[in-house]
Amino acid sequence: MPEPTTVLDLEDLRRTIAEILDVEEAEVTDTADFKEDLDVDSLLAMEIMVALERKYQVTMGESNLQEVRSLISVHDLLAAKLVTA
Amino acid sequence: MLSSVKGSWCLILGASSGMGRATALAMAREGANIFGVHFSTASQQDEVDALIEELRATGVQVVFHNRNAASKQTRAELVPLVAEATGGAGVRVLLHSLAFGSLLPFIPQDDQADVISQRQMEMTADVMGHSLVYWTRDLYVAGLLPRGAKVFALTSRGDEHAMPSYGAVSAAKAVLGSHVRQLAVELAPAGIAVNALRAGMTLTPAMQRIPNSAGLAQRAREGNPHGRTTTPEDVAETILMLSASDLSWMTGNTIAVDGGEGLV
Repeated sequence: MPEPTTVLDLEDLRRTIAEILDVEEAEVTDTADFKEDLDVDSLLAMEIMVALERKYQVTMGESNLQEVRSLISVHDLLAAKLVTA
Repeated sequence: MLSSVKGSWCLILGASSGMGRATALAMAREGANIFGVHFSTASQQDEVDALIEELRATGVQVVFHNRNAASKQTRAELVPLVAEATGGAGVRVLLHSLAFGSLLPFIPQDDQADVISQRQMEMTADVMGHSLVYWTRDLYVAGLLPRGAKVFALTSRGDEHAMPSYGAVSAAKAVLGSHVRQLAVELAPAGIAVNALRAGMTLTPAMQRIPNSAGLAQRAREGNPHGRTTTPEDVAETILMLSASDLSWMTGNTIAVDGGEGLV
């Protein structure tokens, strides 16, 4: 099992997501709702998911799309994936 | 004059499943090299790897990229890679087989309070409709759609009919049909044919996401004069057949590939 290349860090995750969404980091608050507050559609949510899979070497399925909802929920999802990885 | 696709390149947007996948396999078996773009999570990687292996086993060149084909950035990055892979010769066939959209009603229903948002509506039209124009144009401008090239888009019965929760996709299919006509006219001087194929009800992974897809499939099976539903392989073989000539005279059409399902 290869070591995860990236350690999960909330601020780093915030930067990554802001970059994918092409918004200012400050807009990605811990609880900002991606859909309601950041205008994220399901395709962008999928972009987030695929980018994070690569970055953190985890496997997600489309069923995880529902959890790509806010910074905190994505953080929790990744934390759970990294524990079981 | 009929001409084999052997040694040519086929660019498939949405290559990992359904009709895109079947077309990749059919083309590769006839000796065409495959440039596939798909957008999948890691949970689907094994399936994609198996497909790539199956394609390579035919002896053709295979390039696959896991990217969102509807994004401008992806096009900007992949078009030069198409040039590189094809040695600048470009592609004989471009197949637009992108199925990623929102399946929600327009009006709240008793059992379904969720309705489609403006953002989801626009995303669906963009992925399943407008992206055909951008890819075709970018490839053409880069000199990667030579005379005799064929562009195919995949539409469905939804381009003219309403189905529950299918409104945004229906609209995207109508957009696609319009773009096919417009591109056909604008690319006629270049000798490039652009057509849409309207497959009958086909049990692809994308179709299975439609609410009550099993019921729709059963109705289609019972109603189809051939007594079965359309398979991705039916569509793949049709694409292969329509690609086997440099003629661009048949262009701008929506061609039914449905075993007569639309007639009855």
